[in-house]
Amino acid sequence: MNPVWLLAPLYLIPAFSQNEVVLTILIFTFILSILAIGFNIVFGYAGQLTMFHGAAFGMGAYGTYLILNKLGISFWLALLPTFAGILLLSLLVGWICFKFQLREFYFAVVTLAFSELARLVVLNWNSVTNGTLGLLVLDKPTLWLPWVGVMKIEGTRAWYLLALSSLLVVAAFSRVLVCSWIGRNFAAIRLNEELAQTLGINTFRYKLLAFTISNVLAGFAGALFGFYTNYIEPSQLSITQSLDAIAMVLLGGVGSILGPVVGALLLTGLPHVIEFSAELRAAAYGAILILVILVMPRGVVGLFSRWRHVS
Amino acid sequence: MTQVILGQFLNGIIVGTLYGIIALGVTLTFGITGIVNFALGQFMMIGAYAAWHLTDITHLPYPIAVALAVVIAGLAGLLSDRALFQFTRNNLVNGLLVSIGLISVIESGAMLLYTATPKNMDFVLSGAWVFGDITLPRMKVATFGVLVVVIALTWAALANTWLGRATRAYAQNPEAAALMGVNTQALQVGVSVYSCALAGLGGAVYASLYSLEPSMGALFILKGVEAAILAGVGNLAGALVGGVILGVTESIGSLFLPTAFRDAYGLIFLVAILLFRPNGLFGGQK
Repeated sequence: MNPVWLLAPLYLIPAFSQNEVVLTILIFTFILSILAIGFNIVFGYAGQLTMFHGAAFGMGAYGTYLILNKLGISFWLALLPTFAGILLLSLLVGWICFKFQLREFYFAVVTLAFSELARLVVLNWNSVTNGTLGLLVLDKPTLWLPWVGVMKIEGTRAWYLLALSSLLVVAAFSRVLVCSWIGRNFAAIRLNEELAQTLGINTFRYKLLAFTISNVLAGFAGALFGFYTNYIEPSQLSITQSLDAIAMVLLGGVGSILGPVVGALLLTGLPHVIEFSAELRAAAYGAILILVILVMPRGVVGLFSRWRHVS
Repeated sequence: MTQVILGQFLNGIIVGTLYGIIALGVTLTFGITGIVNFALGQFMMIGAYAAWHLTDITHLPYPIAVALAVVIAGLAGLLSDRALFQFTRNNLVNGLLVSIGLISVIESGAMLLYTATPKNMDFVLSGAWVFGDITLPRMKVATFGVLVVVIALTWAALANTWLGRATRAYAQNPEAAALMGVNTQALQVGVSVYSCALAGLGGAVYASLYSLEPSMGALFILKGVEAAILAGVGNLAGALVGGVILGVTESIGSLFLPTAFRDAYGLIFLVAILLFRPNGLFGGQK
């Protein structure tokens, strides 16, 4: 069965629970899941440990808001040039990394370096990005719905539905992608790059493709995140953002469709479920991460299903 | 202008040795246990706070405080190795994640113990040597001396002693080293503890120069990893050189180009090096 359908029952939650905290945690979970799913495509399937998705996340938030603000167009229209920008940048960074045959640790460090460069540009480009102070997002995405007409996405329930729908689309896309010949080529590259090349797979092109898709998805997540929290700041491009997504994927289960969602839920939800001060919450986050990695090296999803690769 | 450049150059060298001592830990840990311990920056923070606490609150003489701080960082390293890192040997990604978790835990601990307010240690060695237009604060020179000596001793020990040979043999071929009678288990523990102690030493001397805050470690581990890669992972003497190159690039770069991008100059340099020498400056070709 297509595991994406397992997410569908989540639509029913707002009907049962009006609890703002629960819904808010779930909204964050859904948005961050999109980021994690993107990372899972490039790491879990194509085997490339990138650190650039955090930068793409932040650029998605900044890009969408700035374009929307300057041109006065809707959220969805503003996404397109943002995606195009992230796409071009990913192609450039990916081209440099893959052309020079950087692998594993080295690839991680160079993408990390580019990600830091992006953060520094955003941080210091005061006239456009307002520097450390960040930007207040006052606009809301609008959505045309049959029977309802154009509506603003405001309030927890509307955001819940938007975030969940976006997640479903992204999860379905990732499922289709990894089950296709593209996904099989990704798997071949992850398992043995030399062999994949010998078999006639253009590894350069497929690694670049995986890297780009992951960053565009991260940008989408970032745009949603910025508009949901009404606030965009340079720390959204930080290494921490990248690491959080990596932690979610590892926690949930590498190379599975729903793993990133489970990981996102655990890492967003658990520190809130236990009532702690801010310092202890950070400690709890760390402790959960350590425990899960040591106790369940294949992630939570790996506990329930045997680790099956798309092969 | 010349003395400004020279001053920045010397500053870069001193900061660079701090990067170098972290880089040495990164290189050693990576070579022997196959992971990059991103929490080394936090062990540095532990060393720094320990030195500060022992000097300013317990009123011990600074050198003793430094020695104790190194021991404390080493013990913390031993604890982390026994409790966590022994389960992530040769698993880069899991090691990375466990060390990230550990970062949160240690930083929160420091926040709870010492709050986020920056701490400044009283001057240990005040005054400066003046050579013409250049002033060199004594403490900075002492710091530089201590770190360089420690790195040089580590390098010499690895080059000349039996233990050093065993370590290098293990880095090259673990199975063969084990067959030759190297106690690999003890070696791995020893190296991870030593790396943490080195980071603690870096922190303890750092405490006498700059103000401390719980989040200070993050910057240094990044620089340390950069320096280690710049030199070529596995190259011990290179770790110091890489750190110094990084420190100098940043200091000189921020003199001529916008200071806001200080952190970027080292990164750009690193990327440029990696693109043309994928194994680092001193790394051999594959």
